[in-house]
Amino acid sequence: MTDLTQAQVRERIEQNLAGRHRKEKLFRGLGIASIAFGVFAVLLLFTDIISKGSGAFVQTAVQLEVTYDPAVLGIEEVNEESLTWANFTGVIRQSLRERFPGVSGRSEKRELYSLVSTGAPFTLRDRLQANPALLGQTEKVWFAADDDVDTFLKSLDDSAEGFRGRTSDEMAAWVQTLWDSGELKKRFNTTFFTNGDSREPEQAGIRAALVGSLLTLLVTLALSFPIGVAAAIYLEEYAPKNRWTDLIEVNINNLAAVPSIVFGLLGLAIFINFFELPRSAPLVGGLVLTLMTLPTIIISSRAALKSVPPSIREAAMGMGASRMQVVLHHVLPLAMPGMLTGAIIGMAQALGETAPLLMIGMVAFIVDVPAGITDPATVLPVQIFLWADSPERAFVERTSAAIMVLLSFLIVMNTSAVLLRKKLERRW
Amino acid sequence: MNTMTLDATGYSEPANPQTVEKKTVDSQTKVGETVGAPFCDNAKLKMRNVNVFYSETQAIHDVSLDIGRNEVVAMIGPSGCGKSTFLRCLNRMNDTIDGCRVEGDFTLDGDPIYGPKVDVVPLRARVGMVFQKPNPFPKSIYENVAYGPKIHGIASRRAELDEIVENSLRRAGLWNEVKDRLDKPGTGLSGGQQQRLCIARAIAVSPEVILMDEPCSALDPIATARIEELIDELRENYTIAIVTHSMQQAARVSQRTAYFHLGHLVEVNDTETVFTNPQHELTEAYITGRFG
Amino acid sequence: MEMHFDQHISRQFNEDLESIKTEMLEMGGMVTRQVADAVEALANADSELAEKVLRIEEEIDRREMAIDEHATLIIAKRQPAASDLRMVMSIIRIARDLERVGDEASKVAKMAIALTDEGTAPRGYTEIRHIANAVRKMLNDALDAYTRFDVRAAMSTLAEDEQVDMDYRSAVREMVTYMMEDPRSISRVMNVLWTLRSLERIGDHAKNICEQVVYLVEGADIRHGHESNLKNA
Repeated sequence: MTDLTQAQVRERIEQNLAGRHRKEKLFRGLGIASIAFGVFAVLLLFTDIISKGSGAFVQTAVQLEVTYDPAVLGIEEVNEESLTWANFTGVIRQSLRERFPGVSGRSEKRELYSLVSTGAPFTLRDRLQANPALLGQTEKVWFAADDDVDTFLKSLDDSAEGFRGRTSDEMAAWVQTLWDSGELKKRFNTTFFTNGDSREPEQAGIRAALVGSLLTLLVTLALSFPIGVAAAIYLEEYAPKNRWTDLIEVNINNLAAVPSIVFGLLGLAIFINFFELPRSAPLVGGLVLTLMTLPTIIISSRAALKSVPPSIREAAMGMGASRMQVVLHHVLPLAMPGMLTGAIIGMAQALGETAPLLMIGMVAFIVDVPAGITDPATVLPVQIFLWADSPERAFVERTSAAIMVLLSFLIVMNTSAVLLRKKLERRW
Repeated sequence: MNTMTLDATGYSEPANPQTVEKKTVDSQTKVGETVGAPFCDNAKLKMRNVNVFYSETQAIHDVSLDIGRNEVVAMIGPSGCGKSTFLRCLNRMNDTIDGCRVEGDFTLDGDPIYGPKVDVVPLRARVGMVFQKPNPFPKSIYENVAYGPKIHGIASRRAELDEIVENSLRRAGLWNEVKDRLDKPGTGLSGGQQQRLCIARAIAVSPEVILMDEPCSALDPIATARIEELIDELRENYTIAIVTHSMQQAARVSQRTAYFHLGHLVEVNDTETVFTNPQHELTEAYITGRFG
Repeated sequence: MEMHFDQHISRQFNEDLESIKTEMLEMGGMVTRQVADAVEALANADSELAEKVLRIEEEIDRREMAIDEHATLIIAKRQPAASDLRMVMSIIRIARDLERVGDEASKVAKMAIALTDEGTAPRGYTEIRHIANAVRKMLNDALDAYTRFDVRAAMSTLAEDEQVDMDYRSAVREMVTYMMEDPRSISRVMNVLWTLRSLERIGDHAKNICEQVVYLVEGADIRHGHESNLKNA
């Protein structure tokens, strides 16, 4: 190689400089573009879901003047027994007939009766049960409107014509009348948060699924965190580095990549068929999700343990601390933020998991809120899956609303993971 | 070499009768037996025929050495010569390294250091260690010093513990600097203070021997001088073995110096002898900066 | 152990040591020449040559200071150890001895001037020439031994000092006898005595240089009759 003078060298550097700057800019631009794409996708998802789902938090209600007429109800007094067979439906129908006296004919009447939700009689029963003195009295009560009415009314906001679907012209006229007289209103949909699933969209809620999810996650956390952390500590601090531990490590990494449906099949075969645990229960769901989240927790816990500087271990060991003391007094406190983050991310993963739960029967139609981990239950993502499959148009917005609830839980969990890490993280 | 040109003053070098054969001292020079005085009368630690292996490679070759009571022994040598490995054998810190095998007899006041019946926990209470990088626990200064007495159950009452902490910090020359902030994290101190905190932590369990593995390599000259001063003071109560890369430091703090070369103990002698008139040419070559 | 001062990792250190050693040997050459000239001036009553010896004396003092300064710098910058340290220490000591030799040579030169002025001494020139030859050889041999790190040569040169001392004592006795015989010549003979004394001192300094050779090579301090240190080493 020939020797270059300093001037020549500088000249060559100058020549290359422009190209280097260009490449630098391009490189940075690519990064920005990628981020922009990601943000765009997230925004798209959120706008879509929020625009579709926000309607579900509002529910149309109809005001009717009902008379608790003992004759119509077919009871003389209010007690446990009489309430069960009292004809509240008749009361409501009578009230509807009185409101729209011109309606005649079977099909027209049926149409009229379908203005209010099929759950309306239960509303009446609850009121009477709470206040038996109402028997024979007349009062104005707000009932949930039928989902077709709800859908139609909400669609009027978007276009003058509105979405008719199953709504007939007569029905549309009644709705208009009621709306004009203030006997129809849109109110906050508490049902969505207090009820379990239902075939009727206006009665369907996410409470059962939410509680099911929480119970399942509790089981998962209670099992996978201690097991995962213990396994990680053994592998990282105690196990000799040999072929066996290498094999275990490879297997753990493999496990993390196994499709979740396989865990569902495993759960079905082992927990339900072999151990005969109750089907559809959060206990089994939690066990299956534990299997699924374990690799995540083990891997992140090991990474957290690895990141603890060896000088701390040496210092403690040099003081004569036993292995366990080294781990419990020094390593674990320093690794805990990382472990917790891993656990929360694993939990978030478990919260969003659907496939394995389908296999163990958590896809069943569950109306009641589960009271314990052995009750039949469903979980949020499965509920979303179920609703997405339902034909009623009102379920579309409920699906999106459930997704919003799920997403907000995920956001809360992931945010808390970040905050926890920031708070607990210690510099050394 | 040594050729002189004639100059105006008329001095001329007489003809050199024998041509000096140029001999290069390099790492291939034969080591042979340890020269000097590896053994002493009032030995605290006795090591005999020590061999250390990392998997297949031998890191220490047949080293025998005594470390005398209340004596500072410096271990010097080029990087990778095995001095740190040897030091870490003395409180079995090598146990934790996979594939590390230690052979030979080690005794501390006649008690074996290695052996199936020896518990390493009390051993490490007797043989403390200070590391190259100051490594205080990420806890308060108080907790750092109190840790050893706590785990070994030396102090039962809080008052006792307070006293141990204060005495240790005083002996490490750190008390006046930290007495008002004992509850502040030890990691917030300066490098030199951290290292003195580590020394305080080590002496809090009243060890008999303190091992120091390049304790000043991460410190500035002033912090280094304070540690060296401290080592000299500690000699009254403790036996100290120190590994150092700084030959001047070895010359300043130690009474005896051991020179390691490629896992062999080449020479052990009084520090004065090693630094003014070493007996092995490898020692000479190393301390005068002739390694190529 | 063999001495190698050109194998340091730092080439600058090699050069520093080599150059300070060269400086010292150059100074040694100057001093040896100075002694020869002083004796020559005395023998031939050459006051011009004696003046030259006195002029060179200043240069020698400057050289000693320069060597001291360079040695100080080497110690400060390199912290020499073992043979390097002994090398620097011995050079400092030898430079001081050489400077004293220069002083003695100046004294001899002053005697030469004095004797030229007062008239030549009646006796003593044979002794002066004899002793002067002996100490010049010693000085030469000592510096030569230093150049070659030759302990054996240094030891044999060192032993020659005894002979010089003996010669000096017998010469003194002779001069004293002569002074008693001829009191008029006392002041002139005294000059001869001073000269002999200076030459004897030069022999002592040459001996010191030999001791430094032993110190440099063997690391043993044999000054002031501690020859036993060498056997222990």
